[in-house]
Parts: sequence; structure tokens; C-alpha cells
Amino acid sequence: MLDFKQLQFHYPNGRPILKSVSLTLHSGSIYGLFGKNGEGKSTLMKLVCGLLTPKFGYCTLNGESTHKRNVQTLKDMFFIPEDFELPALPIATYEKINSVFYPNFSRERFYDLIEEFGLHPKQEISKLSFGQKKKVLIAFGLAANTPLLLMDEPTNGLDIPSKSQFRKILASFINEDKCIIISTHQVRDLHSLIDHVVILDNAQVVFDKSLADVSNALWFGRPSKENESQVLFTESTFGGRAILARGNQEESEVDLELLFNGVLTHPTEINSYLKK
Amino acid sequence: MAREFEISRIIQFIRRDITLSRGGIITSMLVAGILLFLLCLVNMAWDKKLSSDEFLGSFALCFFPLGILYTFAICREFHNPKLNHAYLSLPISNYERVVGKWLNGYLLYTLVFSFLSVSVGLFAMIVGISILGADFTITSFFSWDYWKVIGLYFFIQSTFMVGALSFAKNRIGKTLLVLGVLFIGFLLFNFISFGILNHDFGIFTGESSGSEAFDRASQDFSLIGKWFYGLIFGPLMLLVAYLKMTEKEV
Amino acid sequence: MDFDNSKPIYLQIAEFFYENILEKRWKEEERIPSVREVAMLVEVNPNTAIRAFNHLQDLEVIYNKRGIGYFVAEDGYARVMEIKRKEFMEHTLPDVFRKMNMMNIPLEEVINAFNEEKNEKE
Repeated sequence: MLDFKQLQFHYPNGRPILKSVSLTLHSGSIYGLFGKNGEGKSTLMKLVCGLLTPKFGYCTLNGESTHKRNVQTLKDMFFIPEDFELPALPIATYEKINSVFYPNFSRERFYDLIEEFGLHPKQEISKLSFGQKKKVLIAFGLAANTPLLLMDEPTNGLDIPSKSQFRKILASFINEDKCIIISTHQVRDLHSLIDHVVILDNAQVVFDKSLADVSNALWFGRPSKENESQVLFTESTFGGRAILARGNQEESEVDLELLFNGVLTHPTEINSYLKK
Repeated sequence: MAREFEISRIIQFIRRDITLSRGGIITSMLVAGILLFLLCLVNMAWDKKLSSDEFLGSFALCFFPLGILYTFAICREFHNPKLNHAYLSLPISNYERVVGKWLNGYLLYTLVFSFLSVSVGLFAMIVGISILGADFTITSFFSWDYWKVIGLYFFIQSTFMVGALSFAKNRIGKTLLVLGVLFIGFLLFNFISFGILNHDFGIFTGESSGSEAFDRASQDFSLIGKWFYGLIFGPLMLLVAYLKMTEKEV
Repeated sequence: MDFDNSKPIYLQIAEFFYENILEKRWKEEERIPSVREVAMLVEVNPNTAIRAFNHLQDLEVIYNKRGIGYFVAEDGYARVMEIKRKEFMEHTLPDVFRKMNMMNIPLEEVINAFNEEKNEKE
């Protein structure tokens, strides 16, 4: 549903943030978008939302270029940025003036989520903490029921119980018609939900694989003496966890942090191994 | 496919803008109403009546500045880096955004403010007649000059809307500055065209004719000039506003 | 649910099913939570939960009644028992033997420890 073709971007007089990104994202998945600071994760999200215009190439949602900001394109997506401000209104008023623009908005769901997050519709948004504001925006984004949902560091600012609530809500929200893109450094907060990994490095997509493919081909854990030779990447030489070719071993859980570090260090080796 | 232009969406959009600046609207209307009331009373205290011109003068004094402030208030989200993600990704087309802002900042504002002014004017007259002993005269509020003021506001509002969308900081100051420069530019242009077109009449022979020509150039807006400023410049500004809306990135 | 980092999550979800069945919280021929409910309960992607359901269906621990939901198989308890026994014999025990070998622990010592524990409990 979401396509990038040779997309290039740089800010005025800046170094290239994205050079030739080609990527296709489908509904039914939760995409984890990873990359070091300043590697263009937020920029990529803004390009998807049409908040930036590609310098070359394009980004399309269901065939329509997103930078045109067509009504249909905008109706099909919702973006939760990392840093934002909400207007000084009661929560219910905020919902009323904005929800009318989203045809599939579910008010019932919104107020359920607000309640679940321990908030009240009559509360003034200006008196809430940043984390609470984030909950309001997340509740709104999930209630908007758009086919595409983008979240930049959604768990930043959430307290520990809300992180778990957030995972539960997301698990119940995703279905075949929806595509969720989450950019995050807090891998541990969301690793059980993400089922497709995209890694950006050096202004390019260096990794784009489903976790099913990864756990099929690679094995994560402590190598034993016999399979030391199959180590593709390890963080430390002594007893550390490593990425190995899976071979005939039993499947292991993908360690996203290890995978991320491995891909950044040996992108070609790991990718070529996955292609086999 | 959703249509790019829907009246119902524009109405929702205007409602959203009004809700967002509700507090500001109420206070400034209150301040403007009191100011207008006092101005009317002062006028009545002077010559015991409120003439149409006097009323219109007071009206314009409040109408223009408040309108400009309102236009800037409804465009506030556009440049705020923490708000404009949400604003620009709201499912509304760029046409609808500009038309909505214009209907709100021009039409709706003019209607509401005129209604407020006439109410305040009537109230001031009642107070003036009963307390200050002013003459009982019925003032025509909607004189030909009133419509001229409204027409002028069309040009001013659209220009300031472009200013509000163009500059991220010190928006009012910068718009005034650009407007000043433009005004001098137009004056010069008028002066030169006036000079060229009327060269045969020998207007540059006299000693003070230079400044005289300047005076005339600034006073005498020909019919074509009025058409140009009123009917072309206003829509042109709206077109520029549309382009600004389309090009905006965060 | 806390996840152990080495085992794939879907297998950990299967373990969670086994536990419920062995402790008779989920009885045979009884309906169990839906894929979505399980996904929410353990906070995972529903695709992962589906994998766990498919895995257990392949092992005939649970079965699907079209349009109604998933149920514990008629002989679900026995099947889980068999799976867990097999796992013990094929994985846990060899691991224990390897460690015994490494630390030179004779079998008699283990038998004694086993009997002692048994007596204590009684």
C-alpha cells in the first residue's frame, strides 16, 4: 500500500538525509523503523505524511503521491510525532473538532482508551503532563482507524504501566487492513509486536525483512564451541550473545538489538545470508 | 476517492478554527465593543450627534486592526513547529484551507463585527440621547462608505493572510514592512505612469510639479486603478495564499 | 507475560497453553480465548499468536471449530503430557547428564538426593 521509489531527500543546503530509498510496505504488519540518531527516521515519516516533498523519486500511498496532501491520502493516515503540542482545550472538545475529518473515527473507542489511560474527557489538555498528552494523541490516532498509522517514539514519555497498556491496545488494533509504522530506540518496549524490521543507515535502507524470515535463517544466542565458526556477528568475544547461521538448530527468538548492531556492522554479510 | 472540495468540510474547518481561538475572540470582541462604545460617546459629547462618518471612522479604527489580528490568530498553527504536523496532516485539501480561512477571516468576521458595531452604535446612541442629551437622529450605518471600507478590507485581509502564511516570526511587522515597500513601489509606478501618460500636458515644467504629481498620483486612483487593486490584487493574494499552503513543509 | 530471550515467542505462548491445560484451568473440549484475546493478553503481534495456535493445532492439542473458536482437544491433557514428557526425556535429561558428567557426579548421589527430597515431602 505504501511505496517508496528511489526517494531522495535533503534539507536546504544540508547533507543528504535519504539517498535513493526504495521500499514497499503492506498492510497487516507492524513495521519497526530503526536507525541511529539523525539517520532520517523522522524525515522518512514526514515524507510519508506529505509534510516534506521528496527532492527526487516519490512516496505513494495507494498510488497517490503523498506530498500532494490529497484529502483521500490524508484521510488514510494518522501521524503521532515524537514532539508535539496539543491545543488548550478540554479532551472532549479536542476530539469533537478534529474527529469529524476522519470518516472511520470511533468515538466509543476514543473514550474507552481515554478511560483506560486514566484520563477524563472533561480534563483540560493544557493542564496535562507530556506523557498524558501523548496518551490523548495515541488514543485519538488509534480511534481514527486509518489504514496507515505512523508513530515516532510512541513509548517515550509513557510510564511503565501505560507501556503495557499500549502494547495490549496495539495488539488488538492491528488487522489485515492496517499498516503500522513505529520508529523507536526503545526496542524492548515493542519487540513482541513488531513483525517487520526496516533499518536506516548512511541515508539508505540497509535492511528490510520480516522477522519470520530472520528467525528462519538466523539464530540468536550464545554460541557453543561446535558452532563458533558460524558466528556472523557478536558484540563481545567472551561469552556474549551472537548472531549465527541457524542451520538445523531450533528456532530462537530474534534479538532486535543484536540484529540492529549486527546489521550496522556487517550489513552485506547478514543480508546476503538472508537471501539464501 | 474523496472530493477535494466539500462545503461541509469547510464549515467543520471554520468551526475548528473558531473553537481553537474562542478565548481570544471573546476578549477582543469585548475590548473592541467597549472601545467602539467609548469612541461613539466621545463623538456625541462633542456635537450632540453621531454622524454616519463619525461612526464609520470609529468602526474602521477597530475593524481593521482586530481583523488583522484575527487573521493572524487563525493562521497561528501553520508555523508552530509543534502544532503544524497535526494541522497539515488533517484531511482537508489546500483549496478548502484557503477558502475556509478567507470565509472565516473576511466574510464571517465582517458580518459578526458589523453586527456587533451596529449593536454597540445603537446602544451608544440610546445612552447618548438619554444621558448626554444628544439630538435624536437616526444614523445610517450602512452608508456607501461602509461598503468601501469592507471592500478595502478584502484587499487588506487577503494581503495579511499571505503575510501570516509567509513569515514564521514577527509576522505582523514583516507584513507591514513589505506592504510599505510595495506601497511606495506602487506610488512610484503610478507617478511614473502618470508622468509618461501626461507628459504632453507638460506637468514637469513647473518647479513644484514633481511633488504635485506625486500628490496626484497618490490621490487619484483611476477607475482602472480601483479595479486593479480591488478585483485583481485581492484574488491574486488568495492565490498566493493557496500556493503558500501547498508548498508548506515542516 | 515476561519473555525469555532465547525461545521464540510463539513457543513461549505454547508453553503458556500447556501450563493452563496441565493445571486444568482449560479443560478438555472447552473453548479457549481467541487469537486476538491471547495476543492482547500476552502483548504480542496477533501474527505471532496465530503461529502459536497453528503450532498447537498441528500437535492436536487444540482444534478449531469454524466460526466458533478454538477448543482444547478431547485428549488434550494426555497430548500435552506426552509432549512435556518427551521434552523432558529429550532435552532436560541429556542436559542434566552432561552436567553430571562435567562435574563428576555419580548417579547414586542423584538417586540419593531424589529419595531425600521425596522423603522430606512425605
